[in-house]
Amino acid sequence: MSQDHEHGLPPKSSVSRWFLTTNHKDIGVLYLITALFFLLFGGVLALLFRLELISSGADLLGSMGYNQAVSTHGLLMVFWFISPFAFGFANYVVPLQIGADDLAFPRLNALSYWLYLFSGILMGVSFFQGTTFAGGWTMYAPLNTPAYIPGEGLGATSVVLALIMFTAAVTLGSVNFLTTMYRMRAEGLRMRDIPIFSLSINLTVWMMLFAFAALLAALMILASDHILGTTYFQYSIDGTTMATDADNPGASLLWAHLFWFFGHPEVYIVFFPALGVMAECFQTFTGRRLVGRKWFIISMVLVALQSFVVWMHHMFLTGINLPIKTIFMATTIGISLPFDLMVFSLIYTMAKGRVRFTTPFLFSLGALILFIIGGITGVFLGAIVLDYQFRGTYWVVAHFHYVMVSGATALFGGLYYWYPKITGKMYNERLGKIHFGVYFLGFNLLYFPMFIAWETPRRVFVYPEGLQIWHSMATVGGFILGASFLIMFYNLFVSLWRGEDVGPNPWEYATSAEWAVSSPPPLENFPGIPSYATGKLEFLDDETVAERTESTPGAAAHGHAATDGGTATDGGAVTARAAVTATEMEPAHEVGGEEHASHASFWPFLISLAGFITFLGLSGVRTGSVFYLSLAAVGGLGTFGSLLGMTRELFHAPEMAIAERWPFERVEKMKLGMWTFLASDIVLFGAFIGSYAFVRVAYGWTAWHHDLIPAEHVTMPGLINTYLLLTSSFLVVIAMVAAERESKRGTVAALVGTFALGVGFLINKGLEWQHLFHISTESFPNGWTLSTNIASSTFYLTTGLHGAHVTIGLIICAYMTVRAWNGAYQGDDRAIEYFGLYWHFVDIVWLFLFPLFYIL
Amino acid sequence: MDWKGYTAIYVVLFAFATAQAVVEFAGLVDSAYWVAFALIMVLSVVKAVGVAAYYQHLRWEPRAVTYLVLGGTVAALALTGAAAYSIL
Ligand SMILES: [Cu+2]
Repeated sequence: MSQDHEHGLPPKSSVSRWFLTTNHKDIGVLYLITALFFLLFGGVLALLFRLELISSGADLLGSMGYNQAVSTHGLLMVFWFISPFAFGFANYVVPLQIGADDLAFPRLNALSYWLYLFSGILMGVSFFQGTTFAGGWTMYAPLNTPAYIPGEGLGATSVVLALIMFTAAVTLGSVNFLTTMYRMRAEGLRMRDIPIFSLSINLTVWMMLFAFAALLAALMILASDHILGTTYFQYSIDGTTMATDADNPGASLLWAHLFWFFGHPEVYIVFFPALGVMAECFQTFTGRRLVGRKWFIISMVLVALQSFVVWMHHMFLTGINLPIKTIFMATTIGISLPFDLMVFSLIYTMAKGRVRFTTPFLFSLGALILFIIGGITGVFLGAIVLDYQFRGTYWVVAHFHYVMVSGATALFGGLYYWYPKITGKMYNERLGKIHFGVYFLGFNLLYFPMFIAWETPRRVFVYPEGLQIWHSMATVGGFILGASFLIMFYNLFVSLWRGEDVGPNPWEYATSAEWAVSSPPPLENFPGIPSYATGKLEFLDDETVAERTESTPGAAAHGHAATDGGTATDGGAVTARAAVTATEMEPAHEVGGEEHASHASFWPFLISLAGFITFLGLSGVRTGSVFYLSLAAVGGLGTFGSLLGMTRELFHAPEMAIAERWPFERVEKMKLGMWTFLASDIVLFGAFIGSYAFVRVAYGWTAWHHDLIPAEHVTMPGLINTYLLLTSSFLVVIAMVAAERESKRGTVAALVGTFALGVGFLINKGLEWQHLFHISTESFPNGWTLSTNIASSTFYLTTGLHGAHVTIGLIICAYMTVRAWNGAYQGDDRAIEYFGLYWHFVDIVWLFLFPLFYIL
Repeated sequence: MDWKGYTAIYVVLFAFATAQAVVEFAGLVDSAYWVAFALIMVLSVVKAVGVAAYYQHLRWEPRAVTYLVLGGTVAALALTGAAAYSIL
């Protein structure tokens, strides 16, 4: 049975399997391996600059080399190693823990992975474009803009684009995980009952959904400053103080706000999965349920919410006002309280249970100890007065490495914990313990001296003479820490062949569902549909499922409607998942019936490859070089073509016939995916509009209109476009009504109308822009272009982003019109409805852009 | 909702958009800027809620979907509001 259940995938021994797979376990493994590669990449860079720091001065790497190594080390570790490493486990384990056979959108999951991999490759390529980004991992403005970057700065542009690509992967992943966890839980499994690791991932992806959208806005704006020549993050100063004499006084603070609005939640995005691993390991290796589990969960939820209102503690030394600093100090100290509760919960669990000191437990315990140190030293930084002293010093460096690398420590514990599940082999326990010992020694020798040598200025290669001894210790510690991984890699590699075979559950007290199936689990995970209805895990066979879904007509209809057969139903566009709506929504197969459609898809790989080529091209278009221009053109075509290919591909990922779906019982998975995506898009546009509001407030809200905007910028084109979009929204609704009534002519006519109005919108906008580009007045002799001033930058970029959304919508609309012409959607208007959700959203955004950019 | 209901919504939206422009053409933006500002933004919010509630069917979806949308909106507003306030 399991043989013909390979769903069209080649065997694991074949290389092509790994390019074609959409299975969550395969992708989990790919994530783990790729993340470990980036650990090495970032780690080697760290060792290089630790060598540099043996003595003060830049005699080994040179100053630019040092700055590049430090900056990219931070970016690689934070973005390309630690979160993706955690999401390797999330991919592998979450579906198993909640009783799903895969993620909700398997191909999007593959797409997330490939985008992640190629974004990392682009990051690597940036080293070969002269120099890579060298302005620190926080990328503060204006040092992140081309005018302040030595040389051509193409490598820096590539880094920004790589981050955009990475963020796209994260956003798709968040949508996918949320949809999965709210639509595919085993029957009887309430949200609060799902295993603690899955719960931590759930909260992580919630934070990701919103935080990364803000980062995406920051990065898109920055990329626009690099490539299109907008001036968000640049200013020139004529007079004596920046606040009054600069043409764009909000430039530098704008970046800090956007970056840290993302950046603080990012700390928990990194740490929560680690916390989940720690809780799992503490439970398994003490044989106790987590003490105060309910409060542990409430604490995590609180932290996830609060994480969005503490960001300005990173800005205590900027020009923001004292009241807001005080508020953010209070929220920051407040956020440490739920953590205390979690820490005590873990300690009590340990105290009340019988501890077995296995490798995963040692790493979890080590992580807890390191986190306590990192947490306490962080509270210092949250106090305004102390931050005045500590900011920009090695105190910060030591603190956040104790926090972030403590997270990594727990995740290495997770690697040992799930290694037998993933490989079916047991690692060597003695070597595992030795790894932990060396690791823990190296870690503390590396980072603890930094507390003592805290007066060292951060990001700089010179430090006071007297501190050399501590830096030498740290360097030795760094090499010990690095060497400890040789033990791990040796152990895990050799155990693949020599390790003992393990059964379903090698750990005595592990209780979550992944331990109820063989190691490694079969492709479809479970021998039937999992259910907790009786209080313990059972598997319903096809007959039972068929019986139950038939005997309750409501449930049957539900299961039926929820099953999205047909082609390409996990859809997927990089730029807008709106494309999913363009896909067919054919009547479902039999509930619980066998599906033999292939689960292999080459498109996610191709889309990402083409996206990579596009971005590499974009990094150099400002030089006008033919090479870069043609890369961008070829890549763009390839991206479009492969997206179309994926949309047209037959792919089958039915929803479960019976599942727990609170609180989204009536929201079919495609619709939930769309809404989740739109929620992140709201934050994206919100951050764009917020940036506009911020720089305008910084400049002077009312003076802005008078000083920076030409009289030729009038209301009328905006009003006409408002009418056009409103009408097109109306027509989409009419198309839906027509499809419901099975009027093919009505459906086609309404869709054609929508398309025409959208095109009209773009033409009108094009004419308006052309006019403004070429005005010649006393105040604006050379036209009003993207680079003219901060007002023109915000106007063109914000309405341009909106225009891009319209364009994507039109492509989907055209595709759907053709399909409607061929008779699709009649009697089943869901696809049109989901496209409508996107189109109306674009309409709503315009309802705010119109007054803000045309009237006020 | 049938096409008549959708049409009624459309007419209201159209009228409100016109009202926003009228506020400007009447010179209110120049004479009483912040009154005009409040008026125009309120009209935008009403329109947005109308589109979301009826065209996007939020009225008929489980409340959780509305909370999801509100979550994103609140996050964006928190960023905008707190950031702007920080430099006032
Ligand atoms: Cu923070």
